[in-house]
Amino acid sequence: MSIPKEAYKALENIVGPEWISDDPAARIADHKGGYATGVVDDRTIPPGICIQPGSGEEVQQITKVANRYKLPFIPTSTFFTSMCAPTVQDVIMMDLKRMDKLEINERDQYVIVEPGVSYSMLQSELLKRGLLTFVPTCGAQASVLANHVHCGDAPFGWRMGLGYRRVLATEWVLPNGEMLKLGSRSYLKEYFWGEGPGPDLKALLRGNEGHEGGLGTITKMAVKIFSFVPGKFTPKGIQPKTTLLLPEERLKWFNCSLPSREKAVDFMYELGRCEIGLMVSTIPPLFRYVARCRGLGPGEFWKRWKEYGENPDREAIDVRVMIIGWTSEKQLEYEEKVLKAVVEEYGGKMSAAPARDESNFLSADAVCSWFIGGRFLSEVYFESLDCGLHTEKDIRRISKLRTPPLADTWDTPMLWAAYEFGHNAKQEYLNYVDDSEVEALRAHEQACRENDIKIGASAIMESTKMFGPYWHNYDKRMEELKAIFDPNNLSNPPKPIERPLFDEQGRTL
Amino acid sequence: MGIREDLISIIGSEHTIDDTEALRPYSKDYSFTKPCMPSYVANPKSIEEIQEIVKLANKYDIPLTPSSSGVHFNGTAVPFQGGIIVDLRRMNRILGIDERNRAIRIEPGVTWKQLQDELAPRNLMALNPLLPHPQKSALSNHLEREPMMIPKFEYGDPILNLEVILPKGDLMRSGSACVTGFPDKSASKGVVPQGPGIDWAKLFQGAQGTLGIITWCIVKAEIKPAVNKSFFIPFTEAGPATELIYRIQKGMIGSECLLLNNFNLASILTEKWGQDFEHLKQLLPPWTLIFILAGGWRYPEERIAYEEEAFEKILQELGLPKPSTSLPGAPGLEKTLPNILRSAWPEGKIYWKFGFKGSCQDISFHTPMNRVQEFNEFILQIAAKNGYPIDEIGFYIQPLERGRICQFECSLFYDPDDSKTIERIEKLYIGSVEALIEKGAFFTRPYGPIANMVYDRAASYTIALKKIKEWLDPKNIMGPGRLCF
Amino acid sequence: MALQLENLRHDANSCIRCSMCKFVDMVWTQSARFARQCPINVRYKFNLYSAPGLMACARAIMDGHLEFTPKLLDALYKCTLCGACDVRCKRNLDPEILSVIEALKARAVESGKGPLPEHTKIAENIAKNNNRYGLPHESRLKWITNDIKPSKKADILFFVGCAASYAHHEIARSTAKILMHSKTDFMVSREESCCGYLLYATGQVDAFKKQAERNIDMVSKSGATTILLSCAEGYKTWKVDYPKVLGKETANMPYKVIHIVEHMDQEVKKGSLKFNKSIPLKITYHDPCNLGRLSEPWLVWEGTHERYGVTNPPKTFRRDGHAGVYEQPRDILKSIPGIELLEMPRARDNAWCCGAGAGVDAAFPEFASWTASERLEEVISIGAEAIVTSCPACKDMFQKAVQSCGIKLKVYDITEIINEVLS
Repeated sequence: MSIPKEAYKALENIVGPEWISDDPAARIADHKGGYATGVVDDRTIPPGICIQPGSGEEVQQITKVANRYKLPFIPTSTFFTSMCAPTVQDVIMMDLKRMDKLEINERDQYVIVEPGVSYSMLQSELLKRGLLTFVPTCGAQASVLANHVHCGDAPFGWRMGLGYRRVLATEWVLPNGEMLKLGSRSYLKEYFWGEGPGPDLKALLRGNEGHEGGLGTITKMAVKIFSFVPGKFTPKGIQPKTTLLLPEERLKWFNCSLPSREKAVDFMYELGRCEIGLMVSTIPPLFRYVARCRGLGPGEFWKRWKEYGENPDREAIDVRVMIIGWTSEKQLEYEEKVLKAVVEEYGGKMSAAPARDESNFLSADAVCSWFIGGRFLSEVYFESLDCGLHTEKDIRRISKLRTPPLADTWDTPMLWAAYEFGHNAKQEYLNYVDDSEVEALRAHEQACRENDIKIGASAIMESTKMFGPYWHNYDKRMEELKAIFDPNNLSNPPKPIERPLFDEQGRTL
Repeated sequence: MGIREDLISIIGSEHTIDDTEALRPYSKDYSFTKPCMPSYVANPKSIEEIQEIVKLANKYDIPLTPSSSGVHFNGTAVPFQGGIIVDLRRMNRILGIDERNRAIRIEPGVTWKQLQDELAPRNLMALNPLLPHPQKSALSNHLEREPMMIPKFEYGDPILNLEVILPKGDLMRSGSACVTGFPDKSASKGVVPQGPGIDWAKLFQGAQGTLGIITWCIVKAEIKPAVNKSFFIPFTEAGPATELIYRIQKGMIGSECLLLNNFNLASILTEKWGQDFEHLKQLLPPWTLIFILAGGWRYPEERIAYEEEAFEKILQELGLPKPSTSLPGAPGLEKTLPNILRSAWPEGKIYWKFGFKGSCQDISFHTPMNRVQEFNEFILQIAAKNGYPIDEIGFYIQPLERGRICQFECSLFYDPDDSKTIERIEKLYIGSVEALIEKGAFFTRPYGPIANMVYDRAASYTIALKKIKEWLDPKNIMGPGRLCF
Repeated sequence: MALQLENLRHDANSCIRCSMCKFVDMVWTQSARFARQCPINVRYKFNLYSAPGLMACARAIMDGHLEFTPKLLDALYKCTLCGACDVRCKRNLDPEILSVIEALKARAVESGKGPLPEHTKIAENIAKNNNRYGLPHESRLKWITNDIKPSKKADILFFVGCAASYAHHEIARSTAKILMHSKTDFMVSREESCCGYLLYATGQVDAFKKQAERNIDMVSKSGATTILLSCAEGYKTWKVDYPKVLGKETANMPYKVIHIVEHMDQEVKKGSLKFNKSIPLKITYHDPCNLGRLSEPWLVWEGTHERYGVTNPPKTFRRDGHAGVYEQPRDILKSIPGIELLEMPRARDNAWCCGAGAGVDAAFPEFASWTASERLEEVISIGAEAIVTSCPACKDMFQKAVQSCGIKLKVYDITEIINEVLS
């Protein structure tokens, strides 16, 4: 099928000729996403049309034209996920970057953002106002709106929770082109509250992960921002060695080395009970080597990593803790005292780290993990700290079956970030493979998913069809929901219905 | 076989009520909702029984109204179209206390008292709203999104996960509790409410039982502070209090933080209604900000010390006097208040909202804090215009999410046996809500007659909500007539 | 070997589409308004108009899935090769993003689809008259006034460049006077020919190589050991692009390259340039891309990418813009009495391009003007009264933009300010 001329004309009338193109180069430029590219996207197809709406109204009109002519469409902004890459013909690729307004309400601590607003744009405006947003680990270049409805976890979730909780009133163009307004926006002009009225339809925005445009297009969203400590955040350096100097009287870093995983988990739980800190997260040895070798090329990394593998530290875990004097400088003193006591009690050692940051306030080094080459996938679990003890054992066992060609992680600890004062956490396990051996990575991913079913764990990127039968047939419910809101199956089809991506041999299905 | 026989075969005759007089108490509650008689009340004990009841309801096309508390204030358990009330109070187990993750799995019939009593010896507390009725279900309070009094714990939803029987009888679990083998044989502890597919744990909140019957919920508990220091800051008006609240919350200071007018505070504190209450009301300042500093798990006094210092600094900056730890008319309250607030209302004592006239109607909405004064004056104007004594209104302002927004609650009191008064107060209530909506109050929990006012205005939301309802409950057997259904 | 697209396949494949390339260094972002740094992406928004989009097209061109369409040529030739994307990518990763874009332009020319007619005209002008404007070659030294006395022979050859020779005499004169004031012996050459920057930047590699060889030969014959320029385009061309196309490293070229700001900085620190006159003025300094982030010496690496992209032989460097000429002009300006130096939100390696580069001004004057006016918004936002730069192309763009926007702002080349202070 090709796109009818009438459809093109109709779309052109909506946005103007400057903001629409079916040029082959424009389409090629829009057919691969970011994360997991090279692993999950070998079947992607260039879209039929690239279009740039400038407002929610234009998004509605485009969606309605798509429905009239039965053309699939996919909304994107930063496009840092491969899951938004088109897999069917004649997709209308709706790039929302023109919609980049942001409006900060300092008093009521929320910001209204359009999809084109990045975290760096927002954070830069907030820090100078004594406010803060929580930048995710994928980097501050990501779209605030898209990230909140996709994943939205951030290292500072220790204090302020998972992403979904920070979503307030929302404007959402459904797959049929109708606008749905959630929260206070449902009947007021204001965006200050996210839930209701009555049953909370914010529930439909996402699940463990977002729908990647499978249920329409979010065009405007209010998200929470947070008052933060006074003091100057000073950028320093020329890249690649840029860093943000933190107000030392209010923020301090400590590296806490614990003798075992179990002790580290106990330690993090105890910090939760103590209600101290702004961030509590392990630092995997892999990340340390990535940081050390940045700028020296993948060769240097793999050389040093191999050398490390001759005598890796499999047991000791480094937990990085940022303590904070939110209330006053005396809080910082208090938190340091508590931290010291807890570290001692759990048999650890503590050392101060410089009061600067590249990874959390603005996540400038977010994509460092890619420089070592090859392709990688992360197994990501949002659950309890204790769950991490289970999943890590299993992921290690499963990855050994395919190591090599998977890169050896030497059984070293991976990333555990604790959230909500220890109520829950994220575990992330990275596995790398050379470009030529991607099947091994895919087969590993498939095996991990099968294991998740067995042990009762829920990773993100789960396949609806694979997990549904074990999880109360939620796949059927998702199909029904899709049929209700997207009866023509046009909004990034077939999402949010996910088939298994790979088979046991790692072939894309 | 008919409905009655089928019902008895599921739960037994001793747990089935169909006697008219026995049913009458279920026909109404403390709201203005018109009484409606159920045909039956069923008291199931297990998930299987509930599923069978739901299938029965579908078979006979008979409405179901879930209920889990022994007392209701908003009409949520009044069966608008008759049918069966599913009274879940027999399901009153605390199914699991996960101290490490501070996550508690409770059945619907668990009351706040039961829950807090169980948690206290473990140095834990659940996050209750302000002095809930002793018969109130903790689960249903959570589902209704009743606000907690401690803004700093709003880093995440207080509900972690839930299990629900859907209107067609299927069972669904939310988030990481949906995995195989949960709770005993899974790696997951059920502490992340995301997914699967959509955020089921959020969908049923605020649903007033119209989308399914919740059979258990995992809720958060927090450390119960052993050391506390309570403060009472008097104000003549609400507006200036909000500025103080704003600064306190911005500085991440303190634990419980709530603003009550003298009427409400006197209602809570009075030991004897009548003259004593009136005297206390006069003694108390027009508004009191109740603010508790809670000691940490370690070095509690030191945490209180730095927070107190910061608190005093803020007061100074605002030109307010040093904070007082005592409240006129309530000697010793500063010591007992933390435990009072972290519990349900004591059994055997007339509920603080009923003591004045026997009943009350709350109006609760959300608004930015800087509109509190405006709404306060507005409500007083409406009351005065309608001949309601303005010194007989209870006001409760609960800051939410570190003082970002607040729940604004005002209470109108009336004698439930005086039909003329009821009519007058009901008219005032409806008129007030209409006016408040026009003024920009957001009713996130639209009970009873408010629902129509809200859903008529929230067009796109209503359409989507009805689609969800039709999807999950095509026969509209769950709570028909409620919300926009 | 450089500018061969196939040699850069690994680099094009390594784009992970993170979009860091579209933004200023996260740590240095100071506002939402000035958070972005890729002019084509800010203006045109389509992914095609960005480094990731061009990487995707480069891959498709190499695989034979795509030809040079009008839109691709539009995106490609609107790219000013400012290098912001390249440098930002290299904060974390290794791909030679800019080289891929340059090679894509070269491929466009090879396949007959490029360059654009305006660029072909420039090439013709250079071939015929040794300058981009097509003006008589004989007029090249007309900027020299009686009070300017270059030596007949010196170690330093002042390579004036087309812009200063023909359109901005004030820069050439100011530079010469500064050299004279600091008692720096210098010569100029009648045989000076266009450095060829625009040929390189538009993918006309063969013509560029000819210019490179001709100019290097001219220098060699002159006996000069150092080329001094006051033009950033020329500076980068001599320092980076000549060795690149000749398969050599900067350090192995038969000359050193120095910009007038580097020279002035040395002289100020030595004490042979003293500023006694006061200029009470709030200024800001614009970092020309070619003097800032793109000016690091060229290093040669040839080899293969093996497992995980490990280079063989090892490539142990990343030319990431950290060693650009940033501080010297600032130190100079700060030492002038009365000057208050204000920094724009996007400075140093984060600088926003003036819009002139890579022939964009010639082929797309409206877009170039828009780019320059974006920069002027930044100047206005900090309350500066003047913008100072060290490249005639940048000065030219800003002057035109000031006029077309109708704003009250002075535009200077740094040599003019210094000359003013010294006189």
